[in-house]
Amino acid sequence: MPDAISLRTTAKSGEAKASSRATLADPRRATRLVLAIFLGPALLVYCGLTAYPAFRTIYDSFFTIEGMDATFVGLANYRDLMGDETFWVAVRNTFIWSFVAPVIDVATGLLLALALYAGVPFARFLRVAWFTPVLLSYVVVAILWMWIYNYDWGVLNVMLRAVGLGDLASSWLGDPNLALAAVIVTHAWKWAGFNMVVCLAAIHSLPKEVLEASDLDNCGWGAKLRYIIVPMLRPTLLSLYILSFIGKMKVFDLVWIMTQGGPLWATETVSTYVYKRAFNWNTFDLGYPSAIATVWFLVVCAAVIILNRVLGSRERLEY
Amino acid sequence: MTSIRGAGKTSWGRGLCAAIAMTAAMGGGHAFAQTEITMWSNWPDEPAKKEWVTARVKEFEAANKQCTVKLSFIPKADIYTQAKSAVRTGQAPDIFYMEPDQPEFLAGGFLEPLDGYIDLNGLEDWAKPAWTSKGKVYGVPVEAYTVELYYNKDLVKKVGVDVPASFQLTQAQFTDLVKKGVAAGITPVSQGVGDRPFPGGQLLFESLLRKLGPDDYMKLLNGELSFKDPRVQEVMTFVKELVDAGAYPKSFSTLKLGESHFYFYNSPGALTFPDPSWFTGRAFAAPEKGGMPANFPLGIMKFPAMDKGACPNCKTLAVAGSFVMYSKGKNKDCAGALLKSMANAENGTKWISEVSLQSGLKSDPAKIVSPHKAYFDELNARNKDVTYFFGTPLLYYRAKCAETYIQVMNNAFPAGLISVADAAEKMDAACLKK
Repeated sequence: MPDAISLRTTAKSGEAKASSRATLADPRRATRLVLAIFLGPALLVYCGLTAYPAFRTIYDSFFTIEGMDATFVGLANYRDLMGDETFWVAVRNTFIWSFVAPVIDVATGLLLALALYAGVPFARFLRVAWFTPVLLSYVVVAILWMWIYNYDWGVLNVMLRAVGLGDLASSWLGDPNLALAAVIVTHAWKWAGFNMVVCLAAIHSLPKEVLEASDLDNCGWGAKLRYIIVPMLRPTLLSLYILSFIGKMKVFDLVWIMTQGGPLWATETVSTYVYKRAFNWNTFDLGYPSAIATVWFLVVCAAVIILNRVLGSRERLEY
Repeated sequence: MTSIRGAGKTSWGRGLCAAIAMTAAMGGGHAFAQTEITMWSNWPDEPAKKEWVTARVKEFEAANKQCTVKLSFIPKADIYTQAKSAVRTGQAPDIFYMEPDQPEFLAGGFLEPLDGYIDLNGLEDWAKPAWTSKGKVYGVPVEAYTVELYYNKDLVKKVGVDVPASFQLTQAQFTDLVKKGVAAGITPVSQGVGDRPFPGGQLLFESLLRKLGPDDYMKLLNGELSFKDPRVQEVMTFVKELVDAGAYPKSFSTLKLGESHFYFYNSPGALTFPDPSWFTGRAFAAPEKGGMPANFPLGIMKFPAMDKGACPNCKTLAVAGSFVMYSKGKNKDCAGALLKSMANAENGTKWISEVSLQSGLKSDPAKIVSPHKAYFDELNARNKDVTYFFGTPLLYYRAKCAETYIQVMNNAFPAGLISVADAAEKMDAACLKK
C-alpha cells in the first residue's frame, strides 16, 4: 500500500508530465526553445528569401552601382525618377491594368460561375474547360494569343474577315491604341477560371433558405442576382478584386512575352520598366531600378490599404 | 613469428600504400590535371553556326586532353540576362558569347584582355577595334556581317521593275518598286520587329548613311547631329512615304525575325528583304527546317542611292557573335587555350565555307569551299568598291537613347504610327547631346 507521501509524489509527477504534454500540444504554452525550433526554419527561409532581398533593394536604391563599386547618391535616384517620363507612362498603364482589369476578371468569373450554378448543358465539361487556362503558363498563354491576334492569319482577324467585317481587322498588338486592351483581355482569359471556381464555391455556400424564399416571392434571376447573390457574395468578390489588383500591379510575364512594353511604351508596366532598367540598359546599375521597385512596393501597400478601407463593408451579413 | 608476421604485415601495408599511391598518381593525377571549363554560345537554332562551334570545341578537346569543355547553346537574350547576374556573383562561364553592343561587361571589368592568350594576327584588322579598349583586345570576333538588301528576282521582274547593272535603284525607282508591289498585292519589304530591336531601322539608317556620308552619319549616331537636320528629314520623309504606301507587312510589329525570313522566301512572299548578311544562317538551312527553297531566285541589290547623297557606295559593316573570357574565371589557362585554338585563319575559312557568312577571323579566300559559291560571288560583287561604315545604330546608342531607337525607329516609325516630326523630336530628346 503506498503511503500518502508517495501518492503525492506520483500525483505531482503525473501533473508535470501532463503539463509537459499540454505545453507541446498548445503552442501558447510552449517554451521559447520549442517555438524557436518550430519557427526557426521558416523564419530563416523568410528572412533569406523575402526580407533580406526587400531590405537590400531599399538599401541599393540609395546607391549607384557600377560593376562591383557602389557610390552613395542619397535620394538622387528618387529625384531622377520623378522626372522620368517613361516611368510615369508605365505607372499610368499599370494603374489602368490594376483598376480596370480586375473588374473584368471578377465579372467574367462570376458570370461563368452563375452559368454553371444555373446548370448549363455540359456543365462538368465546361467547368474543366474554363479552368484549364489557369493551369497554363504565361508563356503558353502569350504565344497562343499572339497567334490569335496575328494580323495575317490570326483567328480573330480571320473571323472578322469571314463575317464581312474585314475593315475591323487590326494589328491588335501593334497598334498603341489597342495593344494594352488586347493584353488585358488575354490576362482576363487566363484568370477567369480561377475567379469562376472561387465564385462557384461561394455561391454553393449561400444559405438555401434565402434563395428558396426569393423563389417563393417570384423573384426573377436578374433581381435575385442583384439583390441577393451579389450582396451576399460581396466579401468574396472584394477579396478576388484585391487579389487580382495586387497581381496586376506586378504584371510582367505576359507583357514581356507579347509586346515587351511596346509599341511606343503603350503596354509598358512598372515591372517591365524595372526589368529594362536593370538588364536592358547597357549598365550594371541596380540603384535606379531598386528605387523604382521601392517606390512601387510602397504604392502597392498603400493602394491595398486604401482599397480595403474604401471597399470593405462595415455591415456584417449574418446567415 | 611475431616479427615475421609483423614484417609480413608491414610488407603488405607498404604494398597497399604503394598501390594507393600509384592509383592516386594515375587516376587522381588524371582528375587533378583535367580541367572543365564552361562555355555559353548563342545560335541554338542555327545549325551551321552550332556545328562550327561544336567542331572547334571537339578539336580543342582532342588536342588538349587536360581540358574538357561544358558547352551550352543558349538564345542570345538569355545569355545576356543570365550573364549579367552571373558575372557579379562569380558564377559566369569561363567563355561566353557576346556582341560589341553590350559594352557594360567591358566597362564593369568583367572581361579578360585576350592579348596574352590568343594570336592577334588571326583577327582581321577591321574587326579588332570592335573589341579594343585601352589598347587591349577583349573578344574573338567570329561573326561579321554587312547589311544587305536581298530581293526576289522573279517577283521584282513580275511587277515590272528592272534592276540596273549597278544593282542600285534611285530613290524614285525604289519608291516605284514599292508602289508597284503594293498594286500587285505583293508585300514590298519583308520585315518584322516582333523579337528584335533593330530590323525596323535598317532601311532608314542605311539610307541615312548613304545620304549623310560616314562622318555626318557618325555624328548622328553619336548624338552630335540632330534628327531635325534637313538632310535627315529628307530621308525620313522618303521612308515615311514608303511606309504610308504599304511597304511593310501589316503584321510588322509582331512578325519575328525567323518569320520574316519565311515571309520573304516562302509564304506569302515579298519583293525585298533588308537583312544583315547573317541571312544565310536561316536561309541556307534545309527547306524542311524553314530554310530557303533550293530554286529560290535570290538576288542582292544595293540599298537605294539617295538624291544628292554624300556616299552612295557606303555600307554598314559590323562584328556580331564573338566569344569573350570572364575575368574572374578560375580556369583561364584552358579558356585562353580554347580561344587561341579558335582565332586563326584556318577556322575563319571554315566559318565562311560552312556558315556562308563573313568572319572577323582572318581567312584564306582560295581555300573557301562552299555549296553556296554563287551566293558568295554575288555577295562579294555587291561588296566590291564599297566604303564601309563600322557599326549599326545599337552599337552607338545607349540606355534611354537605345530604348527610344527601339520603340520609335525600330517599331513605331516604320509601322506608320508616328510622324517624321514626332519621331525626330523623340530621338533628339533621348539622343542629342545638349
